[in-house]
Amino acid sequence: MDTKGYEIIVGLEVHCELNTKSKIYCSCRNAFGAEVNSQCCPICMGMPGTLPTLNEKVVHYAVKMGYALNCSINPISKQDRKNYFYPDLPKAYQISQFDIPLCENGYLDILVDGQEKRIGVTRIHIEEDAGKLIHDDSFSGTLVDFNRCGVPLIEIVSEPDLRSSAEAKAYLDTIREIVIYLGISDGKMQEGSIRCDINVSVHKPGEPFGTRVEMKNVNTFSGAVRAIEYEAARQIEVLENGGTISQETRRWDDLKNCNFLLRSKEDAQDYRYFPEPDLSTIVLDEETLSELKASIPELPNKKVVRYMKELSIPEEDARLLVESIEKSAYFEEIIAAGKIVPKDASNWVLGGISRVINETGKSIKEIGIPAAHMAQLIEMLEKKEISSSAGNTVFEEMLKSDKAPKDIVKEKGLAQVSDNSVLQAIVDEVAAANQKSIDDYRGGKTNALGFLVGQCMKASKGKGNPAIMREMLLKILEG
Amino acid sequence: MELYRLTAAELSRMIHDKQVSSTEVTKSVFARIAAKEPEIDAYVTLNEEGALKKAAEVDEKIAKGEDLGKLAGIPIGIKDNMCTKGLLTTCSSKMLSNFVPPYNATVIEKLSAQDFVCTGKLNMDEFAMGSSTETSFFKKTKNPFDITRVPGGSSGGSAAAVAAGEAIVALGSDTGGSIRQPASFCGVVGLKPTYGSVSRFGLVAFASSLDQIGPFGRSVEDVAMLYSAICGKDPYDTTSVRREYPRFEENLSADVKGLRIGIPAEYFGEGVTEEVRASVMKAAHEYEKMGAVLVPVTLPKPDYALAAYYIIACAEASSNLARFDGVKYGYRASSYNSLEELYENTRSEGFGDEVKRRIMLGTYVLSSGYYDAYYKKAKFTQNLMQDMFREAFRQADVILSPTAPDTAFKFGENSDDQVKMYMNDILTVTVNIVGLPAISIPCGFDSKGLPIGCQLIGNKFDEQRLLNTAFAYERQIGGFDLSKTLG
Amino acid sequence: MDMDIKRLAKLARLKFTPEEEEKYAAQMANIVAMVEKLPDLDASGPLIDPDNPMEFRKDEVQRNYSRNELIANAPEVQAGCIVVPKTVAE
Repeated sequence: MDTKGYEIIVGLEVHCELNTKSKIYCSCRNAFGAEVNSQCCPICMGMPGTLPTLNEKVVHYAVKMGYALNCSINPISKQDRKNYFYPDLPKAYQISQFDIPLCENGYLDILVDGQEKRIGVTRIHIEEDAGKLIHDDSFSGTLVDFNRCGVPLIEIVSEPDLRSSAEAKAYLDTIREIVIYLGISDGKMQEGSIRCDINVSVHKPGEPFGTRVEMKNVNTFSGAVRAIEYEAARQIEVLENGGTISQETRRWDDLKNCNFLLRSKEDAQDYRYFPEPDLSTIVLDEETLSELKASIPELPNKKVVRYMKELSIPEEDARLLVESIEKSAYFEEIIAAGKIVPKDASNWVLGGISRVINETGKSIKEIGIPAAHMAQLIEMLEKKEISSSAGNTVFEEMLKSDKAPKDIVKEKGLAQVSDNSVLQAIVDEVAAANQKSIDDYRGGKTNALGFLVGQCMKASKGKGNPAIMREMLLKILEG
Repeated sequence: MELYRLTAAELSRMIHDKQVSSTEVTKSVFARIAAKEPEIDAYVTLNEEGALKKAAEVDEKIAKGEDLGKLAGIPIGIKDNMCTKGLLTTCSSKMLSNFVPPYNATVIEKLSAQDFVCTGKLNMDEFAMGSSTETSFFKKTKNPFDITRVPGGSSGGSAAAVAAGEAIVALGSDTGGSIRQPASFCGVVGLKPTYGSVSRFGLVAFASSLDQIGPFGRSVEDVAMLYSAICGKDPYDTTSVRREYPRFEENLSADVKGLRIGIPAEYFGEGVTEEVRASVMKAAHEYEKMGAVLVPVTLPKPDYALAAYYIIACAEASSNLARFDGVKYGYRASSYNSLEELYENTRSEGFGDEVKRRIMLGTYVLSSGYYDAYYKKAKFTQNLMQDMFREAFRQADVILSPTAPDTAFKFGENSDDQVKMYMNDILTVTVNIVGLPAISIPCGFDSKGLPIGCQLIGNKFDEQRLLNTAFAYERQIGGFDLSKTLG
Repeated sequence: MDMDIKRLAKLARLKFTPEEEEKYAAQMANIVAMVEKLPDLDASGPLIDPDNPMEFRKDEVQRNYSRNELIANAPEVQAGCIVVPKTVAE
């Protein structure tokens, strides 16, 4: 988009549903897509006299995310009530965290066109999701389904460090990959597992930040990109026409692909936050914290960079490998199992292996080829012990049996022949039988050489080393 | 001898020894209810059918020689802010006039485990907001000692029912004095336990950080027995405390020799009538006779406590009562053209004046710009007061004061002056603010023949000592005189 | 005391007639005068009680309520859902 010389400032508030078994404050099942109001109890329906009890897993998952995003963890924190009336909020307050979130002051490194960029993370806190309102035009009212009430959420608030919709997209993708790597959320967009509110402002470089506008209801990443571009363009246009931006909340409409005013600063909500008196203090001991910290694996954003820098895998391939925890793990096993070029291993994982995954829907584990066998196959190819066509034959065989590639090559006699006397005999034979081609070559039709090499390969039943035979033919032709 | 006049302890022994059946006891209590309820109006909902059914069950189990809890077959009344599965639970409000919970409060589960007999749901101030039970949407409960006077509140129905023999014992709840003050007005014993010793699950919340369920009885032993049955850690209430809770009634001792009883001058001062002061001091001197020592202690100024109390209680209430919006349960306004109107009409029609006043005050003290000056400051005042009590309990084992500044007042006497009405709580709210246990025991009558209550405050989780101290006095004076109300 | 009764009523979803508003304004003024009797103390710093740690709930599923008993108290029900007047989506 044409920013007319303005700089775009973006901050994101990402809400991510955690994949715990039970809800955050009651023992109802935390499940998507169940029959309406079938995953509820008096607690998540806010019935009189009921009380919340905090799910331990929710705290642990949030702390894991905190460590993943390099936050400092508050070992002593509390929960607060955010008071407002809406039919999807049965208690008329949301239990959240206000002044003492579980995690604070972190950062996330994202990769934008090959460059790493560090985005500040202000805080991560836990809270409960609201229910769903069903708007059915055939019906005069709105229907309320409370199944989603009490589904655990973490809210990840970024610093206003993003400078474009592309950076926002990269940030969101990275967050998504990380929660999936940590196994704390299934990160399913279409099920609304990750949603975000977006803060956008624009200003001329050198000038102070502009007034920020908050956009709610952005439920897809592509929507986020469009929403940011739309809002930035809107603000730039207003400013270009001599207008001013007012601090307001706007609602993104993904279908109409535009946003509209929800509330202006004047009628900003007064949420009357205060400490939740029904829940005592969250206290996390050293041991629990260090266990959680130790459980954090190498994160996808870091892994991609390592593959690029240390294993010289191209970014695109690196991303494809890292996208799948299984593929990247398999890839690393293979290169650990033999002295081979990582790129060759990557090509097989993204090539042959991925093809089988797509065709059969099997996981790599189900396909069942030991990494050591893959390494052996790749090694033989690198050492030219077998031709690439033979390599494919061996791979197909490995899919069927669990024999080692070396044995398969022996059994099927696929080893490449490099014995000169044997090859010389074949070459002489072919030369004798194809005088015409020799004349053609000498007459300037150099492509006759290819034909002759082909004839030699045929005569050697594909086992002759084509490079050596080519040399021998040239001697004859040039002689 | 009318069975309804006996204590739970006596009836428990008789039922277990098969001298009487639970059915006989239950019938006796319902006969008494039939006779007295028209003038007392203690109950919002009666559970006669369910009670007799349960009593028959108990008798069967006893016949089979099953080993049952002490409260098996004892008719117990429940304040109408505790959820009872399948039984109307209204909080004496139009807002919940049709609410039937699909679950039991934890205290009800615990009593059910002992096979108690539920007589019904007792009247109260609407959502426990009041000191006279006059704010009930349904009826005005009368004081059994003088039906032109209030029974106190908010647990007025519980106190009146126990005093009048319409229940053997009863459960109430105490947020700022709602058990002790009506106990004092109706001449019965009422215990407000340490915050966190009784589960609040299923107690319709007024002020979550102050609410506590507690027992009413005509004897200290009954109160101890009922308290033993309901206390304990509850996995459904994170504010309930895990610890060893003894069977209090089995450890009762009347020995107070060397007990240091703290006398806080501030709580005998301004507003406390001469008759009340004299009667309570007389009780103090009874303890001296029994070998206890009276020591002066300094407590927080009552008006600090009252201020902090109303800020914290109303702030929490404004949030706790927001869920009553006509959407999921309870009353819904009949006319509205939008969601906002549904909310506003339902809440304006469903809540009474006192509830609205407190919601407004709570909304005010939490609203942006006022939070620090009111709510936050009140919470810090609470900490300050806790320190003062910690200090006081270095000098004293138990603290003694009047429960209320005066005896039961006439209907309507305070209802148009809120501040005057709130003054009834001035001697009790402090205890809730600091989360301590306190018990109110009858210590005599004023010239109008109305009972006077003496409040004993204990240290955190020191209920046993508190009950022992009360028990000693009961022994000394030969039992509490309810001849006037039990007929 | 500066109390905007209208704004508070709106926040609390209560509706008052002009007469009621006046009555409440007066009563609230008295009550606020009472609750302003707080001691002078430093109320900075967060409200948190580290001496009162919470026992967490284990992440286990328990289901023992049918939809019917849960919506039995609802004033208006349709297709297993509770019904409210049409809302402007937020």
